[in-house]
Amino acid sequence: MSHQIPLGSSVPQVNCLDLWREKNDQLVRQAKVAQDLDLSLRRQQLAQDALEGLRGLLHSLQGLSASVLVLPLELTVICNFTTLKASLAQRFTEDQAQDIQWGLERVLETQKQLGPRLDRGFRGLWNSVLHASAVLPQLLPALHHLAGLQAALWLSTDHLGDLTLLLQTLNGSQSGASEDLLLLLKSWSPPAKESDDPLTLQDAQGLRNVLLTAFAYRQGLQELITGSLPRALSSFHEAASGLCPRPVLVQVYTALGTCLRKMGNPQRALLYLVAALKGGSICGPPLLEASRVYRQLGNTAAELESLELLVEALSIPPTSEVPHFLIEVELLLPQPDPASPLHCGTLSQVRHLLASRCLQMGRTEYAAEHYLDLLALLLDGSEPKLSPPPCSSGLCMPEIFLEAAAALIQTGRAQDALTVCEELLRRTSSLLPKMPLPWKNASKGTKESPHYPLWVSATYLLQGHAWVQLGVPKQAISEFSRCLELLFRVTPKDKEQGPASNCEQGCTSDETLQQLRAAALISRGLEWVASGQDTKALQDFLLSVQVCLGNGDASFHLLQTLRRLDRRDEATALWRRLEAQTKLLQENATWSLPLYLETCLSWIHPPDRETLLEEYRTFLLEPCDL
Amino acid sequence: MAGLVRRVHYLAGFSGPAAGPAAGRPRVLRPGAEIFLSTGRELVHVYDPEGRQLTAVYRLPAQVWHLEVLALRRALLVLCARRGVYCLSLDPARRSVSPSDGDHEDGELLSPVIPVDPDTCVLADATLCAFTVLDDKLITLAQGPAQWKVQLFECPCPGQDPRAKGPIGEVELSTYTPPEGSPGKPRAPHFLPVLCCVSPPGSRALHSHLQGPRGFMLEGALFGLLFGVDACLLESPVILCGLPDGQFCCVILKTLVTSRLAPGDPKALVKILHHLEEPVIFIGALRTEPVAEDLEDAHSDCLVALGHRGRTLAIKASWDEAGNLVPELREYCLPGPLLCAACGGDGRVYHSTPSSLCVVDLARGGAPWDAEQPDGPAGLPSLLCPASLNVCSAVALAVSPRVSEGHAELLALSAKGRLMSCSLDLGSKTPGPTRVTAANSGRKIKDLLCGIGTVSERVSSLKKAVDQRNRALTCLNEAMNLSCALLSSREGPRPISCTVTTAWCRQELQDVLTATCLLENSSSFTLARGWALCLQVLPSSPAAHLDSAGSAVTYTVPVDQLGPGGRREVTLLLGPGEDGVLSLPLTVSCALFLSLREVVGGALAPSDSFKDSSLDGCPPDVLPEQGGICLPLSEHTVDMLQGLRFPGLAAPPAQAPGDPVDTFLESCRRPGGEPAGPESLRAKYLPPSVAAIRVSAELLRAALGDSGSGVSLCCTTLQWLLAENATVHVVRAQALSSVEGLAPDGTGLRLDVREVAVTDLCPAGPIPAVEVQVESPSLANMCRAHHAVVGRMQRMVMEQAARDSSPPDLRMQYLHQIQANHETLLREVQALRDRLCTEDEASSCATAQRLLQVYQQLRSPSLLLL
Repeated sequence: MSHQIPLGSSVPQVNCLDLWREKNDQLVRQAKVAQDLDLSLRRQQLAQDALEGLRGLLHSLQGLSASVLVLPLELTVICNFTTLKASLAQRFTEDQAQDIQWGLERVLETQKQLGPRLDRGFRGLWNSVLHASAVLPQLLPALHHLAGLQAALWLSTDHLGDLTLLLQTLNGSQSGASEDLLLLLKSWSPPAKESDDPLTLQDAQGLRNVLLTAFAYRQGLQELITGSLPRALSSFHEAASGLCPRPVLVQVYTALGTCLRKMGNPQRALLYLVAALKGGSICGPPLLEASRVYRQLGNTAAELESLELLVEALSIPPTSEVPHFLIEVELLLPQPDPASPLHCGTLSQVRHLLASRCLQMGRTEYAAEHYLDLLALLLDGSEPKLSPPPCSSGLCMPEIFLEAAAALIQTGRAQDALTVCEELLRRTSSLLPKMPLPWKNASKGTKESPHYPLWVSATYLLQGHAWVQLGVPKQAISEFSRCLELLFRVTPKDKEQGPASNCEQGCTSDETLQQLRAAALISRGLEWVASGQDTKALQDFLLSVQVCLGNGDASFHLLQTLRRLDRRDEATALWRRLEAQTKLLQENATWSLPLYLETCLSWIHPPDRETLLEEYRTFLLEPCDL
Repeated sequence: MAGLVRRVHYLAGFSGPAAGPAAGRPRVLRPGAEIFLSTGRELVHVYDPEGRQLTAVYRLPAQVWHLEVLALRRALLVLCARRGVYCLSLDPARRSVSPSDGDHEDGELLSPVIPVDPDTCVLADATLCAFTVLDDKLITLAQGPAQWKVQLFECPCPGQDPRAKGPIGEVELSTYTPPEGSPGKPRAPHFLPVLCCVSPPGSRALHSHLQGPRGFMLEGALFGLLFGVDACLLESPVILCGLPDGQFCCVILKTLVTSRLAPGDPKALVKILHHLEEPVIFIGALRTEPVAEDLEDAHSDCLVALGHRGRTLAIKASWDEAGNLVPELREYCLPGPLLCAACGGDGRVYHSTPSSLCVVDLARGGAPWDAEQPDGPAGLPSLLCPASLNVCSAVALAVSPRVSEGHAELLALSAKGRLMSCSLDLGSKTPGPTRVTAANSGRKIKDLLCGIGTVSERVSSLKKAVDQRNRALTCLNEAMNLSCALLSSREGPRPISCTVTTAWCRQELQDVLTATCLLENSSSFTLARGWALCLQVLPSSPAAHLDSAGSAVTYTVPVDQLGPGGRREVTLLLGPGEDGVLSLPLTVSCALFLSLREVVGGALAPSDSFKDSSLDGCPPDVLPEQGGICLPLSEHTVDMLQGLRFPGLAAPPAQAPGDPVDTFLESCRRPGGEPAGPESLRAKYLPPSVAAIRVSAELLRAALGDSGSGVSLCCTTLQWLLAENATVHVVRAQALSSVEGLAPDGTGLRLDVREVAVTDLCPAGPIPAVEVQVESPSLANMCRAHHAVVGRMQRMVMEQAARDSSPPDLRMQYLHQIQANHETLLREVQALRDRLCTEDEASSCATAQRLLQVYQQLRSPSLLLL
């Protein structure tokens, strides 16, 4: 864009410098006017125009050889340009670094110090410029402003070493002085602006405050992640004590809550979280954090309530904040990271969390409802809001289906559970390997299928339980058999990536496979028992004990069946072994199984094991005494 | 595919696509009865094939990059280069026709051009590069400062203002390297990215008529295999992106959210399917296997992506021996460059190259032996054989939806802007002889005429290619002749020569030394386009400046048409540079260079108007980037003697009438003035350094061919020494035997030539000799000048030795002694230099002092040449 300055035109007695100044001031005013506009398009356009104007002005200024007289204005224009550009793009880019570098070189040009440009990096440039500025005190205010922008750029790109050195030089301290960036930032006092200086979008002092808050918060987050909690606490306090915009304050308070919770101060954490909630429109992270605090306190009702509130909060479409044309704290914060402790996830993730917590805490009615809501949210295409499946948290869609089915069975809605399972099978049917199934003779002769997804067998297992609940044992047994047939095709050690299920890896643990086999065998065995076919049941229970040695339930069921069949000797032997095992088991019974499997295992759990064991003791020991 | 019977109808002509690299992407759409078309310029045409007329022409504010039709909403979405997406209503009632604006271009049909209201811009974003429509969602791809960004919007309706709503989902794709360009202003992308929507079989999108023609429904197995079980369970459509850097990636639509709600983690949301390593120009899907009887609708079972240079990727789902799903992925190489492509029914992919429109059959591979597959639904063919349809340079293709068995209809837009409809008989059955009826023969004649039209267009493009190749061959032939002539004439005058002369001149308040290279073509050949004169200035500096040795500068000057007897002069600035230092001697070497790329590149690239738009900057692989012929011409050393200035000798009367201010300034800048710096101080307070060299007068006389013209030998010698200096004529005119001049850095330097007699060397008596004395307050300059003088003497002696003149009787013992002396001194120099390397600063100063002394001793008694 060519920019024309009316050199020596209509206005007499005005020199170029004044004209340029006037132009700068006018453009800054224009940007500020744009700032206050409501119409986003018009606003954007005005700001863009101001940016182009500043670019043109800068070109005019830099077209002439550098002179000390013009340099303060030129540096101010660079600052304004960089500020507007970064805030419009909402990030710093390589361009801005170049603009700053060019400004520095122009300063050196006046000092005839512009030697070979290759061997000195930014750090060297700044050193020379700040040394040169000792001779040129009139440049200092603008240079400090530029240094503030450089600091912001380095902060946002994590060049903390360079930043420390720059601040040390700015403060005039000796090298080897304080390395603490926070202290350095605090002790840096940019010279105040004179009233007749050219206008700026943001002054150096304001920039320093933003830097201070942003750095304190960044450092606190880092310390929170690495686990040095007391230091994180003080960093967050520092960030909160500065001037900070509301959304950032909410984040800082939430971080304080997280920090205090981890330090074992849940009550104080809650105080901060309440403050965060009062703070502004963004209430996702504090609510999630509150639910964690209540969970730690064991207050399930409050935990679930805060999760429900969180779901509600996330259901409201977020109002997009209009960014100011300034370097703001948000601009200098790290990109939101799903792994961060302050990340609150999406609506579907939170819904899933709520549903699974309900299921775990035994509030099955609610759990079922929440699961159904979640499935509706995920599957209903007409829903205007799209949400990602919570796959990033290690879960996958099939597991959500399975958990939903388990929750439905738990509440006695077997028919609904069957529907969910059928939907799961229908949607993934094309992914299943071609195999000789009894009802369909595939043309291709296939033998083994090591990658058969576990969740398909789990679906059969749940379907079987649904049929049990509906009182159709025949159907149930056939489902269990189908499940077992599939499960025994899977070779446990084969951990190769199965087809198309990217999160299958998580599900294919050997433990899960064993427990799933045991669960299926026990379930079928119980059905045989119910229909009076004890020998068949005995077979299944025997097999389940072999399959999963650690599963005490299988042994109990086996024991009971042996007693019913009056096979006293075997029962005694088993009982002795069981007694010995019980102590061992209680120690290492902490596997983390998928939630649906846990739920399923709870259904086949024999009631009150201890009384049973006592009963057997008397029953079995009597004949021995005789 | 010999049985491909085709019929081509020309429907209409439009102004052809804009040439040049900034061209848009031409596009043809036929969603229903009407044909929508843009040639890459600012216009969008709506054509009615039944009535054979244009029904509307819209003028957009910038080049059209993409368009989609929302058939149900009767709206047209248009992406304008660097503007954004415009939504135009297709209802005639809502068009604001202004007949006054009915200008028409290139004699095309008279139809009202409807200028598009800027208010219809529904998505103003200068960075948008592509978009597509799926159901009621608009998916865009924008080029961010460092990344591509996919955004999801509610699809706008004409007349409705969607600007208030932000994106409802977005994610950033991988990083890319932004193209070179002025910072701040994004350059027009050379290739635009492509987007394509695919849906799983059960999804609702099937029943939606809003779906653009770019949407495909994939078979469940392939869909799940490529995009995962989550996409299957969500029954989510997937956006496929083909980027100009060759990346081919997918985004599951239902996983997108706005970044404010939660960050879209690209690692979780974006999956890279493949990397084509060349710009992706087309993504599509097709059915390769025959449709089973019990299935009513056939979903595509093969995904294809085509790269600009012809690399083609096809992905299918297949089952391994164990019955597991595995992806079958094949890469083919079609002859490129490809301009556009389209997927037809029956597993056919149509693609257009500048020379022909071709079709490949992914179901059968086009090869007859592939037809005999052992098992029914087998995999992809191992080889693709493109069959040409003899339609050249189509820039946009659309397959008509009305396809009956074994029959296809293609809409093609040719490079010259002609809209054609091609009917293809794809079945191999040859039509039997039919009874010729009147109507039949009429149609036949029409077909023949059409065929002639196509052939003539093809012929003209081929002719152009042949011409280009011929020109390249002629050029290469000339280059060959020239190389032979130059390389064979090692002795004697070369047919093409380059001479270098130096002179001082004023430039921007500074005296600079310039070298003028004169290229003379005395051969019978012409240096044509593509030749360049390469001048390399190489500081062959003394040891003191070893560190600057690497800074050779090469100037390349195109020699544009230099016929026999022609001359071209090039003036180079030798120095002093910005640092004020001119380090002599310099070597200027001249060479001729022929860039093969410039000469041949055009001919190897497919020949026609597309070269400009699509091939600029991506040369064919055959030619290396720097490939060429280099013929060295000459090498010239610029030393101190050429760099000397003699302001004192310049004829004063010439300057007298000059501007008094100039004279004053001149006098201020005079060397008599006070140059600053240590050198001048040294000059003031230290005695000047002196070195001398003696040459026997006889030798000089023989060498200089002094024929006793009355000029003394000293004068001749001085003239000879300064022969390449611009001031030599003054020296000659004034018959000087000693001159005082200025070194490039402004210190004085004196050359003194006098006759001496060397007494103690020859038993026969004193030998008359000439002594050349170099004197300068600056030691460095003295050394340089001495070096230059010695160099000249050496060359002269070598030449003389070749001519064999017998040396006079010498007192050998004396010579031996001199040699012995010098050898001890040299040894000391070596020792001192070694010491200099190891010592610290204080003592090294003394060593350096000593070294200087030894050098001084080495020079005197001065070198004697006999």
